[in-house]
Amino acid sequence: MDQQNTYDKRNRRLWIGLAAPGAIWLLVLFVAPFYVMLSVAGGGINEFFQTVVPVWNPLHWSSFNFSAVWHDIVGAGAYIGPPALRTLLYTAIATAISLAVAYPVAYFVSRFAGGRKGLFLVLLIAPFWVSYMMRMLAWIDLLQQGGFFNSALSFFGLPGNTDWLGGKSVTVILGLVYGYIPYLILVLYAFLDRIDQRLLEAARDLGLSKWRTFWSVTIPLSKPAIVAGCFITALPMVGDYFTNQLLSAAPGTTMIGNAIEGQLDSPGQTGQGAVLALMLLVILLIPMVYYVMSTARASREMA
Amino acid sequence: MASTAESVSDPARPEPLHSGGRQRGNPWRRPWALEGFTWLYILWSIVPIGIAVLFSFNKGASQATWQGFSTKWYVGNQVTSVLHNPSLHHAVVQTLILGVLTTLICVPIGVGFAIGVDRWRTRTSQGLNLVMIFSFVIPELLLAVALFLLVTQALTFISLGTEAEVAGLVVWNLSWPAIIVRARLVSIGRSYEEAAADLGASRMGAIRRVLIPMLMPAIFASAVLVFASTVDDFVIVEQLSSTGNTQPMSVLIYSNVHGGLSGPALNALATILLVISLAAALIGFIAYRWMTRGERTQGSTEALTSIAGI
Amino acid sequence: MSGGHVKLESLTKRFDQATAVHEISLEIQAGEFFSLLGPSGCGKTTTLRMVAGFEPPTTGKILLDGVDVANLPPNRRQVNTVFQSYALFPFLTVAENVAFGLKYKSVPKAELNSRVAEALELVQLTGYEKRRPNQLSGGQQQRVALARALVLRPSVLLLDEPLGALDAKLRRTLQVELGVLQKQVGITFLYVTHDQEEALTMSDRLAVMNHGRVAQLGTPEEVYNEPADAYVADFLGVSNLMDARVQPGGDGKGPCQLRMGDFTLEAAAGRLDATGTVKLAIRPERIHVEPYETTGANRVPGMVERLVFLGSTTHVYVRLATGSTLQTLVRNDGAELPYSQGTAVSVAIPAEALRVLPDPAVSAAEIRDETVGNDVLDLTGTNSG
Repeated sequence: MDQQNTYDKRNRRLWIGLAAPGAIWLLVLFVAPFYVMLSVAGGGINEFFQTVVPVWNPLHWSSFNFSAVWHDIVGAGAYIGPPALRTLLYTAIATAISLAVAYPVAYFVSRFAGGRKGLFLVLLIAPFWVSYMMRMLAWIDLLQQGGFFNSALSFFGLPGNTDWLGGKSVTVILGLVYGYIPYLILVLYAFLDRIDQRLLEAARDLGLSKWRTFWSVTIPLSKPAIVAGCFITALPMVGDYFTNQLLSAAPGTTMIGNAIEGQLDSPGQTGQGAVLALMLLVILLIPMVYYVMSTARASREMA
Repeated sequence: MASTAESVSDPARPEPLHSGGRQRGNPWRRPWALEGFTWLYILWSIVPIGIAVLFSFNKGASQATWQGFSTKWYVGNQVTSVLHNPSLHHAVVQTLILGVLTTLICVPIGVGFAIGVDRWRTRTSQGLNLVMIFSFVIPELLLAVALFLLVTQALTFISLGTEAEVAGLVVWNLSWPAIIVRARLVSIGRSYEEAAADLGASRMGAIRRVLIPMLMPAIFASAVLVFASTVDDFVIVEQLSSTGNTQPMSVLIYSNVHGGLSGPALNALATILLVISLAAALIGFIAYRWMTRGERTQGSTEALTSIAGI
Repeated sequence: MSGGHVKLESLTKRFDQATAVHEISLEIQAGEFFSLLGPSGCGKTTTLRMVAGFEPPTTGKILLDGVDVANLPPNRRQVNTVFQSYALFPFLTVAENVAFGLKYKSVPKAELNSRVAEALELVQLTGYEKRRPNQLSGGQQQRVALARALVLRPSVLLLDEPLGALDAKLRRTLQVELGVLQKQVGITFLYVTHDQEEALTMSDRLAVMNHGRVAQLGTPEEVYNEPADAYVADFLGVSNLMDARVQPGGDGKGPCQLRMGDFTLEAAAGRLDATGTVKLAIRPERIHVEPYETTGANRVPGMVERLVFLGSTTHVYVRLATGSTLQTLVRNDGAELPYSQGTAVSVAIPAEALRVLPDPAVSAAEIRDETVGNDVLDLTGTNSG
């Protein structure tokens, strides 16, 4: 509207002033660090101290670290492959399980909870406010050798002496699900709650049965929410390394995050850690850009 | 309709108009399966936490077998309780320091960012907004690594430890106020500020006396979220920590899970962390309801969803 | 009351390519209730916003009691606005809302409280001090907005379609109240509306605007009875525009003879010196529908096309033998109408009410399409733009 434009334009200096601190903080502490990462990746090592020597000028970047990482991926002593593949596998499975559990729950609470909606929401939001550490700690307690879970298994006559925390993929995957599913539920709930009831009523009025309405109307309408939800779940999951550390700590279940961490902490290999991190960033860039663009578009449509 | 014999259909069970499957009983029946599933999920989600909290009061040193009730891990034992053990004690303090500092810095600049970007309609501001959304969606590890390198290689005047941690946490959480306040801003519009100007307010005066009060619920909700997110944060803090006593609770728990401090002590720490977060959430909820008492439309669910950030 | 004299000199506002307001010049006397009337997009709101200070004019002057305020920001003008959406601050009580502007006038606390009480009494909201805006009805909110502006004792009060969001009955009540209030307070009111009934009811004078220009400026009676052109005639009420041709031989001063289809009519109002093709306008309430056999001057035979009952009046649509359809108005005084749909009638058009208008460019049919068939349920049988 013209009125809005005039008000905005007349006070332009004010808006720039208000946005400046945040903008500067973002540029210095979000954008610049990645440039530093590039410079370290393209830099060298101080052989004596085994510390990194970043190279700031792009023209002087060397491929030393890149080839070292490339070796680690495809060369003789390659060890990046397994964690990378495992990351993909774990994330895919964990996201799928999360979706399968989250959708029905979100659907139920948004459509059928009625007067108890508040109660359900509190229960669903609660894990959000329980720290990740606490939630993992809970399962560590339960899955220990002498813990509740094993006791319960032997109570039902099943073998009760499995070392769940000793390097099992199942544990890590379910740990990931447990950790990330609250976000997914809330995103799906927020969306399903806002679906216009009248669309569904119209469908029923036109003769569709409950199932048909669900498949032909509700699901297509939820597609953007499902996509957004999967992004919000899967993207952070890819960078996860601590779930594995807490619930397994065995080399057989490491994810790419562990590999990056490991290299960063090893003297002399920091540059390679930076390269690995950069590669992960580049791979994730496409889905991230897709998500950012569609969110920005959606919020512009709102405004 | 006269009561003739056969083919009068029962008005309580109308024939389905379309062949989308036969009408199975009452179309309004409660979806028991879905509800059961939901409760199962809720139990799976919450019960383990309850058990962990329970074990923080365990008399023995086991995290698996219950040996009686005791508060020794909190205050009793002279050596190992949170109150007396220095590293545990410092961890609690450090967590609170990080939480408060980050919130105090992040919320004002986030709110200013939201207002400025919303009205400064150029490509630059849209670009900045995109950068902010990126910070919301990137895996925390990548940012933590990049920040670590930044602080150790380039901006070395920022020392590792609390300084770097707060700087990183502010950037990581900037999207909370930026997004939440922006959403509220969109629904407010410009007319209130114009009214204030008409009545004699200067530009900044209109923002101070009118816009900010109207944004207060959103500002508060985002502050609560920033605090909880910071208090719980682990990745950035670990990456940017220095040697020494500056480990917050989350890092301490992580590093001691496989040995080190006794199990129930960790549970106690985690329980304290839980209480802090929940207290923040409760304060946020109550404050939000009080602030919107003049304009509430949906009751408690509105407050709940706002402080969850959706 | 000091001052309140407003003078606009060649006021123009351009937005990128479009000119919203085109060199408007007008003068509003101190203490006058002046309206800007026109359809959406005619520039009336833009003009108001320029006077308020929210829109800097492209060129021109805005003289408030002789001082050009065109470049003063809104908070430094002795002018206050009542917004269309009221814009009451939801986080403040009614009393705090009203007191808002007083904080900028360094008014001591005791005086502040008494002025707030005074303003609330003026709008009949005493006792509502502690309520919040969302607890008030639309009409009450509007009164708070009024009080909030009036408490500052501005020289001019600007009102931007303040009654737009209210239902018809409430609107009519408030129209009367606003008029009374204005006389009581004595401040100049500059009122913007698209509802011509509102403008006619409340204004001392009004300006009808069309695409950024003033089409006519005058008192309600002048503008309604002596519209300057077809646009004004048609905007204010139904004008039953018809095409006709002036017969040669008139002296340009007395009534002129016109030929409409096969019929000759005499017109004694409007541009009697016009020649060639012109437009004729006649108000519904001046037309007489009489039995078919009646004889006399200035008559056209016709047939009753439609009757629309509106409570206190009935609209009778009559199709003339010339092909045009006229809308006429009959008061429902209890007697049954002597005709019904399909009855042949004789339509008497008094010469002194038949108005010759310039603007032959727009064809009568075009304008008529918009007027016929719009049965807006109000008293004067008008269209709201």
